[in-house]
Formats: sequence, structure tokens, C-alpha cells
Amino acid sequence: MPKVTINDRTVEVEAGTTLVDAALKVGVQIPHYCYHPRLSVVGQCRMCLVKIEGMPKLQAGCSTTVVKDGMVVRTDVPEVEEAQKGMMEFFLINHPLDCPICDQAGECGLQDYSFKHGVAYSRFRYEDKRTYPGRERIPLGANVILNMNRCIQCTRCVRFTQEIAKTGELGFFNRGARTEIGTFPGKELSNPLATCVVDICPVGALTSTRFRFAERVWYLDKRPSVCTGCEVGCNITMEHRRGDIKRYKPRYNPDVNDYWMCDYGRATFERYKQIPRMQAVRVKASAAGVAGNGNYIAAGWKEALDAVHRQLTMADGPVAFLGSPYLTTEEAWLFSQLADAVGSPHRSVPVDIGPERTIPNLKGGITGREAAPNRRGAELAGLTPGTGGDLDADELILGDGAARCSVLVVCDSDFSATAYAPETVEKLRRAKTLIVFGWADSPLAKVADIALPLAHHAEKDGTFVNVEWRLQKVERAFPAPGQVRPGVDVLAELLSRFDAHWAKVTIPAAFDRMAAALPAMAGLNWESLPATGAPLNVPQARPATSATSAEAANQEAGIG
Amino acid sequence: MSVSEPATGAAPVSGHAGLPPEAKAELDEIRRRYPTNEAALLPALHIAQKVWGGWLPDEAIQAVARELDLAPAKVYGVVTFYDLYHQKPVGRHRIRVCTNLSCQLRGSEEIMETLHQELGVGEDEVTPDGRVSYVHFECLGSCDTAPMMMVDETYQENLTPDRVRQILKGLK
Amino acid sequence: MPAFEPVLTRNVGKPEALTLKGYRQLGGYEALAKALKMEPDAIIEEVKKSGLRGRGGAGFSAGLKWSFIPKGKDKPKYLVCNADESEPGTFKDRLLMEYDPHQLIEGCAICCYAVHATTCYIYIRGEYTKAAAILERALKEAYEGGILGDSVMGSGFKLNMWVHRGAGAYICGEETGMLESLEGKRGQPRVKPPFPAVVGAFGSPTVINNVETLCNVPHIIERGADWFKAIGTDERNTGPKLYAISGHVERPGTYEYPIGVTFRELLEGCGGMYKGGNLKAFIPGGASAPILPAEHIDIKMDFDTVAKAGSMLGSAAVMVMDDKTCMVGSVARLAKFFNHESCGQCTPCREGTNWMELVLKRLEHGEGSEADKTLLLSVCNHIGGNSLCALGDAAIGPVKSLVERYPDEIDQHVREKRCPFPRRRYFS
Repeated sequence: MPKVTINDRTVEVEAGTTLVDAALKVGVQIPHYCYHPRLSVVGQCRMCLVKIEGMPKLQAGCSTTVVKDGMVVRTDVPEVEEAQKGMMEFFLINHPLDCPICDQAGECGLQDYSFKHGVAYSRFRYEDKRTYPGRERIPLGANVILNMNRCIQCTRCVRFTQEIAKTGELGFFNRGARTEIGTFPGKELSNPLATCVVDICPVGALTSTRFRFAERVWYLDKRPSVCTGCEVGCNITMEHRRGDIKRYKPRYNPDVNDYWMCDYGRATFERYKQIPRMQAVRVKASAAGVAGNGNYIAAGWKEALDAVHRQLTMADGPVAFLGSPYLTTEEAWLFSQLADAVGSPHRSVPVDIGPERTIPNLKGGITGREAAPNRRGAELAGLTPGTGGDLDADELILGDGAARCSVLVVCDSDFSATAYAPETVEKLRRAKTLIVFGWADSPLAKVADIALPLAHHAEKDGTFVNVEWRLQKVERAFPAPGQVRPGVDVLAELLSRFDAHWAKVTIPAAFDRMAAALPAMAGLNWESLPATGAPLNVPQARPATSATSAEAANQEAGIG
Repeated sequence: MSVSEPATGAAPVSGHAGLPPEAKAELDEIRRRYPTNEAALLPALHIAQKVWGGWLPDEAIQAVARELDLAPAKVYGVVTFYDLYHQKPVGRHRIRVCTNLSCQLRGSEEIMETLHQELGVGEDEVTPDGRVSYVHFECLGSCDTAPMMMVDETYQENLTPDRVRQILKGLK
Repeated sequence: MPAFEPVLTRNVGKPEALTLKGYRQLGGYEALAKALKMEPDAIIEEVKKSGLRGRGGAGFSAGLKWSFIPKGKDKPKYLVCNADESEPGTFKDRLLMEYDPHQLIEGCAICCYAVHATTCYIYIRGEYTKAAAILERALKEAYEGGILGDSVMGSGFKLNMWVHRGAGAYICGEETGMLESLEGKRGQPRVKPPFPAVVGAFGSPTVINNVETLCNVPHIIERGADWFKAIGTDERNTGPKLYAISGHVERPGTYEYPIGVTFRELLEGCGGMYKGGNLKAFIPGGASAPILPAEHIDIKMDFDTVAKAGSMLGSAAVMVMDDKTCMVGSVARLAKFFNHESCGQCTPCREGTNWMELVLKRLEHGEGSEADKTLLLSVCNHIGGNSLCALGDAAIGPVKSLVERYPDEIDQHVREKRCPFPRRRYFS
């Protein structure tokens, strides 16, 4: 592999590596706007100009590749710094001074490079800035708004729609200083990945309709997580201010979603604000075995878990466990352990087939057809999907299985789109005793005999297993409010009433025990999970095309 | 319709779902010259512009896009890049006056003034009767006959204000 | 020195040259017949030996360019003839195409044979409708007469040649801008490398040459490189050259001389200054060439001599200005041209040419300031060498020369807060 020397640091890189990428390997940042590792190289912004020994003119770092030994590059010489200053000046002469009202402030390419490579004053004093009258707030589609005055004509967005989304809605119109980006009159930027253009726009020309004026980015805390919109499991960064999630942004993972995520996924955090949540345990007197029938008694967690334990051990008929593909793998596993502790074979997870979504990556893309992020993790953990016998998910939700149950435990209340339907609530309520765990104070939770509030996915650590059987970590971004607790804590505490071995088990310990118990996770431990996720060894596994075939596929694969 | 004939100058034809058969035949002949569909775009737009009376409304652009299987945004990008494709209505006769240096050095300013006086409209505007529109243009490659202008597809050279008036009279 | 016999313009004014039959009677297509019996590499060597340098503006050795085309057979090869001719002050190619189209066709055919190109596109600017029509007619006759098609003059060499009309963009005269436009896209120049000789039209090796360059080729083949080399200044500046002279001269037009004629001779040959005026300055090679003040009147108009004087011969489009001309106003008009023609891709050219037009407009109208001279030079230095294609470098040529050679004229505009030159009326 050829070697290249950048600012006196030599590194060996694959032939064909651009100087911008090679420089990063030795800790040198070559500033750039139009270059993006997944888009065609256009060499337009001229911000990446570097000095190559032996060449009279400066060369663009994005379009110059390392093909053989001996290239010596400098970015720390006056010639390069002068060029960078010149380019920054050119970018800013026609750029509006919008920082006080621009979403991009704090994560803006012009601000950052101005500070690092620009000058602190303007020489453009007597002329009028070029503007695009009438193009200051154009909705390009439902999710993206364009302010053409702020655009620096890097064409990343145009190339994205042509090369990645392959829908070609955006074009580059006019010529010279009047060039602008836009859609054909009357057409919209409507592909499923539309908001990705906002991510890749270095400035505030393209903004997200959802995030517009929502928050200043320097107030946002950011935690890595995984999207719960479907089984693709795009890696995201969850950005919130004191527990109020403001935005999801895709997080780079070359093995899953690359740099992208879809617009639907970006909106999924809004459910946490739209759907009321359970704030405290609710225990009916009858469930606790005290006088009062259907009235709620004053109870804390101890009383609630005691009541659950009591119901499970005193059940005089079948006890069914209805899991959820929205649980983390550890929660699903503990739930399955609970079924073991009670000795019940009835443990299932419903399967929601949602719209198909494909996220492009370098391996031909990744397609998800199920609406939930962790049906596979729930399966591995021991919950059977779909049709798997007597009191399985379909029987409970669609049939009259619940009526045959002495105790029905649902975890969690947000288990599927059908969870909120009155028919479902009516069916599940037919169980003699209904126990509901969950974050959503759904109609089902409201009619439960015991309702226990759990943290939602932003408030707990855990893992999801995606459509390609890759185990990925989600990190807790902020603590759950009030009495609400993460599912692993609650289930471990409940289990400890059956077996003291479970007392005070935290997430790392829960994961390690689970990994030791499940062959697919052999060798994994919580502390050393790879950053891009751990591909699990699940032979001949196929994705489910329907609830029924999910079961068939997994039986064939020897799971569950 | 050959390359050197002026456009029909009729009012923009609306209601065309696509290129009319004659134009399509002309385009099909030209398409054979190129290894890709896309490469026929510039000739296709010249043909379409003639069909639509000297300019390219959105429906013309969509017709060409459909014909060549290209995204409309892309075709629109090409239309807006080049000076000879018009995006708004033009007069039946289109005048382009060179005002670049060699013509400026021989009185192109006065030619523009004469047009303004005679036609009563400004640059890039159409006379009320739809007869003429004019614009200034960059070097047309006829600097030895400066000042000069292009009227439809013909170069009118060695102009004087009187000659301009004469030419205007001849435009119907 | 013996009187110079026109080479490129020898058929101009002979109406029979426009027909295949007439052109042949005048000796046409003899060179092609001769070339078809030579080894292609030998043709390239002959053209290299002749010292023919590109007549479009860059002055790059034509033979050397042809030799860059790889010999492999896996991709088709193309010749694109650059007939975009949009450089202000240039009109020589139009003359060649309108009066001697077969000379160009013959030159293209010889080049194609030499580099194994089987398709040639003549990219002609959209405004040249007359020349395009003449070329189409000539090509039709050439096909009918067996000069083009499946077997060029019966040799078995297959060649297709088409006219491709542009649509009004100066930047399409830049070789990769031209290729993009040929492929049906916006004429935005490409990043180089890869160079067109490797990845050109439709991803294949391509030669791009100017009309005048290609028109020289039949003559080189017919009369030999040595004959060609004997014309001109020295071995780096050879052959006949068309000079397109315009502006304040009595008889503007295209004149053919051995390359290296002095400007004084050129000026006298076209009747001297317009209405007997005084020479103030001239631009030797189109809008991108830095201005030369009158004291350079005896300069030899070849590539190297003009370059040494701080300008460029370029396309040999000579624009002459008398002493009633405001240099600021002239350069302002050129700055407006470059701003209009910038494709808009790269930052320095898009923003820089825009800025320069605005500053020069201010200066022209007396709203300038002292600092504008330094500002203009600084902007020029930030554009030069940093733009994606040569338009950026072209745009700064006249502006730099204005600030460097005419600072007093700029100062006068600033001081008097107006243009000190009286408004010129040519027709009253």
C-alpha cells in the first residue's frame, strides 16, 4: 500500500484514498464542504486546497488520491492558509448574517471554518449581497425547508438525491452567481430519506421542518442509541435537553445504516410526548389481596411487586406472558425467566409487519419489513413470535386466549400498533387478572389490575437485535421521571422474589448472564460490545414475512 | 424543420402531451448520433423550443424529460444553464444585441438605445403586440462587423441606428 | 521575405469550395488520401514535428495531445472539434467554417484516423446557425461522396462525423465543460485528472482540438512538417495564424499571417487606427489576455513573445483601443462577461467574478475608493490558481492588468467621482 506524508507525518493507505481521508488518519483535518465519503467527488468548494511538493499550484485534497509512494503534502504553510482565508472570504461575502436566527448555529460549517481558517472582518462593504428574493423559506417537501440565501452551492444535496436516494428530485439551476438548488416547479422532495439532505448540508440552507427553531444545539445533550422505528435498527444520536428529546440524527455505522436514516424514524421520538405515560404504580385492592375490590390502593413499588408475585404464585389456571418486540433483549430475557420461574410455557411476542424500508449502505442496502426494533432479540430471549401454540400472541390478541388465562402479564403496554385498539383491550381484559408493565399509559394499562411504569427506550441501557441479527446497544440518555424505573431493574427485583440469585442485578450483569445462556451470544459481554454492533451467529435465520412464517422460519433455525 | 429556419413564432402551443410527430421524428434521427439518451438533450430542447413558440414552458420540459427518460429536475437544470433556452415567453422575433467589448468599442450602447426607443419596451420585455423582444448578449463572434445583433437566426451586421430601424420595420 | 501565401484562408471567397466537387477541384481531400496510406503513428509524429500548437487559446502541442490517446481497443475513441468560439474578440473559426467547411472536415478526418477515433463531434456554438447549416450540408455531401461513413475514401476506416449545437455558454469552450455539454448535461467543467485523453466523451479517450488547429492538419500532411516549421518565428512558434482584429481599427476582420507578425504590421494591414485615432492599448488574445499598452506596438504576436511581455496570444483575438477609451469601463465590461459566464461550481470563480464585476461597476461610475485597487488584486490572487478550471484564471487577466498598468486612471475615477472620459457617440 502506498505511503503519503502529510505535515511530516507518514502513513500507509490503500491506493485510491483521497488526501482528505488520508490526512484524517494522521490527525490532520483538511477543511472541506462539498466532499462527502459517500458522494461523487466534484472538487467544487475549493476549501480543501493543499500544497503538494513538486506541483506549482495548490491541489484539491478531495480529488487528489494517493496512488504511489512519495507524495509530500503540506497544509500548514502560508500559501495554503492564504487560500483558505480567500475561500472563506468568498463564501461569506454573499452569505446573510443569519446566525442569530439560523438553526445551524453551533454546528455550522461556515462558523467553524471561519473561526479556524477565516478572517475576522469583511471587505465586502459597498456592494449589495446577492439574494434570491422569494426563496428564503421554501418548503421543498413536507420535511425540508430551503433558505436559498444561505446556500453555499456545495451540491451535496443534489448529489444525494441523485446517487443515494436515487430519486433525483433536486437539481442545480441557473448559472454562475445565480445558481440555486431546487425541485422542478410543482414537484416535491418526497423520498423516504429526504431529511438526510439537512444532515449533510454544511450550512443552514436546508433545515428540518420538525426541528426548525426547536432548540439551540449547544443546549443539547447527545447520546448514542438505536432507532425504534423498524427492524433495520439505524444507529442514531438522541439529542435532548434535560429529558426533552428534540431530535434524532443518524449515527455512522458502515455495517447498518451507513450515514443515513429515514424520515419516519426521525419522528419516532414524538410518540413519547404525544402518548401519556404511566407515572406511578397502580394496584387494585383485589390484586393485592386486601379489601376494596376494584379500587386502587395506596402502593409503592414494593407493594406492587409483592402483588404481582402473589398473583403469579397463587394462579389457579394458565399464566400467559405477552411480551413486546419493543423491549430490549435483556428485558425480554428476564421476562422469559419470569415465565420459567412460574413454570409457564406460554410466552410470546406479537409480530407487526410494517411498511418496507430500505436504507442504503455499501453492501446494497438494508431492508426492514417489521415495524418493531427487537422482535429478533425477543425471540432469542425465549419469547415465541406469532403462532406457537395455545396461548400465544395471536390467540391472546385476536382469539379468546385471554379469557382462558388466570393471569395475563403484558410487558410492555406499547407492544404493537394493535395495543391501543378497543377490541384488543377488550379481549385482553378477559383474563382473570391482568398485569401490565410499560411506559405508555395506554387504555390497556388503564384497565389493568396491576400497572407498573417502565422507562422508555431513551431512559434505559440495553440492546436490540436488528433484521440482520446484529446486536446493538442503546444507551440511557436521561433518567426516567419520578417512580418510573428501567425494565431490567423491575424484572430483576421481581425475579428475586422467586430466586435470590436475581437480587440487585444491573444491566451489565443481566446482559452477561443472558449471553452466557444463549448460544447465539456466546463470547459476548457488556463491557466489550463492538461499537458497530455484534453480528450474532444465528444459522439459517430468515426474516418473517408474516406472523405465521416468523414462527416457521425460526423453528427451522432452531430458535426458541 | 432545419436548423437555420426561424421558429414558427406562433403563440405557445399548449395542450401538447408530448412532442408532436414531426418533432419526434427529427429528434429520433438526431438520437442515433449519440451512444446515450441523455446526450440528445440539447438538440431535443432546441427542437422543443421551436414547437413551443420560442420558449420552454414547464410542459415542454416535461415532454422532453419523458421522451428521453430523464428526471424533470435534471432537464430543468440544463434549460436554466444555457442562454439560448428561454423560460418565459419571447416575441415572435427575438433580437440579441452583442454588447461585449469589441461591439461596445463601436457603439453597441447606441444600438440598444435605438431599440428601446423604437420598440418602447425595456430589455427582456415583449412588445405589447407580441412582435419583438430584445436582450443584450455576450460576444456573438462577429466583432469585425461591430456593432451587430442576431435577429432570430440571422446575424445583422455593421449596424447603424438607421439600419436598426429598417430591420425592425421588416419584422412582422 | 517572400510574400506570404494564405494557407488556411486560401479558399475563402471561392464559392466552389462549399461543394465537395469544387473543394476537390481546388485540391481538397488529397491530404486525407495521402494520410490514409500512412501509419497513424507517423501522422502523429508529423504533426508533432510541425510544432503545431493549439489555436483555441491554450497553445498546447497538438501532436503531443494526440499521442496521449491510449492504443488499446477496449474503448471507442472520439474527436471533439471545439467550434464553440465564444471568447470575446474571436471570430476566425466562424470564417473557416462558413467559407471552407471541407477543410475542417478533412482535418478532423485525418486526426481521427491518426488516433483511431471512429466518431467525431463538431461542437459548434448554438448562435452559429448559419455555420452549422453549412457544415451539415458539407457533411451530407461528404457522406454521399464516400469521404465519411463505413469506409473513408474506400480505405476501410469507418468514421462518423456529426454537428452538435451548443446552447449559449462560454464555459462550454473549456474542454471538459464541452464534454459535459456534449453528454447532455450542464456544461460544468470536470475535475482533472482524469484527463480527456483517458476519460473524455462518454467515458472514452477523446481528443479535443480547436477548429483552426484542425484546419492546419491537411496542409501539414500534404506539404510536410518542415514546410510548416519554416513559417513563423522559431521552432516553438510555427505555422500560419489567423488574427481576428476588431475594435478601433479601420478594417476589422480576420487576417492570415505567419505566426509572429508584429502588432504594428497587423495594425497597418487592417487600415490603421479607426478614423486616424491614437493607439492607447490592445488586447492581444481575447478577453482573458492581460492588456498591453501602446508601447508594445512592435511585439511579435506569437505564443512565447507575448507571454514574456506578461500577456498571452490565446486565440489571437486582437481588440484595439484608442485614446478616447476608458480602460476602467472596458475592463468592467469584461468582468461582467466573466461573471455572466461563470458556471457557478467553484467558490472562487462564482463569488470572485461576481465581486469583481460589482467593484469595477462602482469604480466605473465614480463610487470607488482608494482601497479598491488592493482589493481587486487580492481577489485576483485568491481566484488565480485556485479555481476548478481556467475560467477563473482567465477572468483575472484583464483585471490585474488594469490595476497594474492603469492605476492612475482608476485613481482619477475615484477622485472625480465619475468617469473622466466623455460619453462616446459613434452615430450622431
